[in-house]
Amino acid sequence: MKELQELAAKLLADGAVQVVLGYEEGPRGVRPAFITDPAQAGRLVFDARCVQNLATYLNPRRQHIVQLGKPAVVVKGCDARAIAGLVRERQIARESVVVIAVRCGGVLQRPEENAALSSETTAVRCAGCDAREPRLYDYILGELPPPPPVNASRDEQIAMLEKMTPAERKGFWDGELSRCILCHACREACPMCFCVQCTAERALPQWIDPSPTLHGNRAWQMMRVLHQAGRCVDCLECERACPEDIPLGLFARYIAGAVETRFGYKACDDPAAPAPLGVFSTEDGEEFIR
Amino acid sequence: MTQRFLSHADLGALVAAHRRVIAPVRARDDARQTDYLPIRALADAALGAALPRRSLKEFFLPPTEVLLSYRQTKEGVEIKEVPTEAQPQVVLFASPCDAAALEVVDKVMDWEYRDELWFGRREATTIVGLLCSSMDSSCICSAIGLGPDSPRGSDVLLTPVEGGYLAQVITPKGEALLSDCAATEASAAAVAQAEAARQQARQKVENNAPAIPDGFAAWLEENFDHPVWRTMALRCHGCGACAGVCPTCHCFDIVDEHDSSDEGVRRRNWDSCQTAKFTLQASGHNPRQGQSERFRQRIQHKFSIYPKRFGEILCTGCGRCCRVCAGGMDLSEILGGLIALAKKGAEGSGR
Repeated sequence: MKELQELAAKLLADGAVQVVLGYEEGPRGVRPAFITDPAQAGRLVFDARCVQNLATYLNPRRQHIVQLGKPAVVVKGCDARAIAGLVRERQIARESVVVIAVRCGGVLQRPEENAALSSETTAVRCAGCDAREPRLYDYILGELPPPPPVNASRDEQIAMLEKMTPAERKGFWDGELSRCILCHACREACPMCFCVQCTAERALPQWIDPSPTLHGNRAWQMMRVLHQAGRCVDCLECERACPEDIPLGLFARYIAGAVETRFGYKACDDPAAPAPLGVFSTEDGEEFIR
Repeated sequence: MTQRFLSHADLGALVAAHRRVIAPVRARDDARQTDYLPIRALADAALGAALPRRSLKEFFLPPTEVLLSYRQTKEGVEIKEVPTEAQPQVVLFASPCDAAALEVVDKVMDWEYRDELWFGRREATTIVGLLCSSMDSSCICSAIGLGPDSPRGSDVLLTPVEGGYLAQVITPKGEALLSDCAATEASAAAVAQAEAARQQARQKVENNAPAIPDGFAAWLEENFDHPVWRTMALRCHGCGACAGVCPTCHCFDIVDEHDSSDEGVRRRNWDSCQTAKFTLQASGHNPRQGQSERFRQRIQHKFSIYPKRFGEILCTGCGRCCRVCAGGMDLSEILGGLIALAKKGAEGSGR
């Protein structure tokens, strides 16, 4: 922690960056912090409650943050995948951000939880994580902690969904999606949802029904998850932001599995790795085209 | 205000006697959470559990509803409005912050235009509030001038006492509800027990935030361009989840949906001032360009614009916005910061 605070203070004092995006203690657990004064760097913390993916704040549309100046951002290895995604998709230049990576021993499901990591409290995305030792960084901090306990609940849910008949699966999703109020919080919290104008907001033609009926909700979520195929970094900020607690991460995990099976691609922290939607490859399977 | 005693059996009979009763029940997807949902028997209700995830708003202003349907014929356009009468319903164990919110929102729903759909449901509903016991550090009802025992918006307010509930009858509607059931005169012991419980509940939230001081609305208006709006809004994602769960946020959007070439419906859908789209004009201009302007709007509307127009703060301190925020925005902290600035400003100017 001291290492992080000292580095942040130095980067700010030297003028290498004008703001450090990190984590601080808030009224309900750990929350995002925007440190612009080196004297305030002591507010920064890093522990298992640092659930949030701060790469979301690097979205160039967020003018009130862009105006602060060049940022340094504190990331876990998994969050770095979003930075790689933003660079890969030409949203930010790699050199426009200083990446401070922290070696990670897993995080909790929610930043306000104050529990030890267990098979129930650990975030589902930490299971099988291959990015605990970050690879995309300008500075790397800490020692590598032991891996966290595995929370397999998400994979169990996926297995349960796969066993269902299509009618049962539709019933499950209709039950979940009937609660959606089309607030689009999932989109706003997502580091990879950066479109200047979302298809959901196109009125001419109106692709997506704007009313939160089951019809509109299905269309919205389906559109979003397909648009995230091979782009989603599985940070589950969408699920955490959802005021209706819809298990949106199931979509993300499912579609990531499909992309890996079909295209041999997994969201990664290498900005140069070509993502399936961004390349033309004659190797792509086409047996489904009849 | 009369006070009666209701046994658990009396309350069970009351639930059984009504066709539609809404109460907090355990959430299907998370046993630690509750949702307001229709119940069949008193045993279905989750007592003393967490504050329901969503407020009562959706039972009066659903996330989406049809206002009218239309059909184009050779003669012209046929318009069919939806009926504004609602089926009678009882809300049991309403949280006082949710019950109060309905009365606060009544003001705007009867301003310039009377919203018959809202009032149809309001008139058809009897609200039985319950002394709140599910408060946490984000509850700021006391700062707003309400409290865990506030009778506002309830027709009857219940306080758990030994063997049942002390029922404070607040409105004629509440009187009518209890006239059908075997409620008896409350004993002095029950009255004393209830008062002690109310006092204890009030103490639990009183220190969560400073009370809104006089002149706060005016200070907010005068400080529309204060730099604090920019720094406070940094972590806000502009996702609008706060508005969805807020019992007093009531803005809606109206859309026409063509079902076929010659017929369709006009709907209204929940909307939120936290999104860029809310103020985006057809020309492409957006008067609220950035998130700091949108965040400022939320606070100004709740604590300055609405109070000036209707004499009411557009917040009942339920704390849901803090609990649901993915960015860690916290209303009690924000108000604390703004109040401190307002006090400093008042001292600085010698007021």
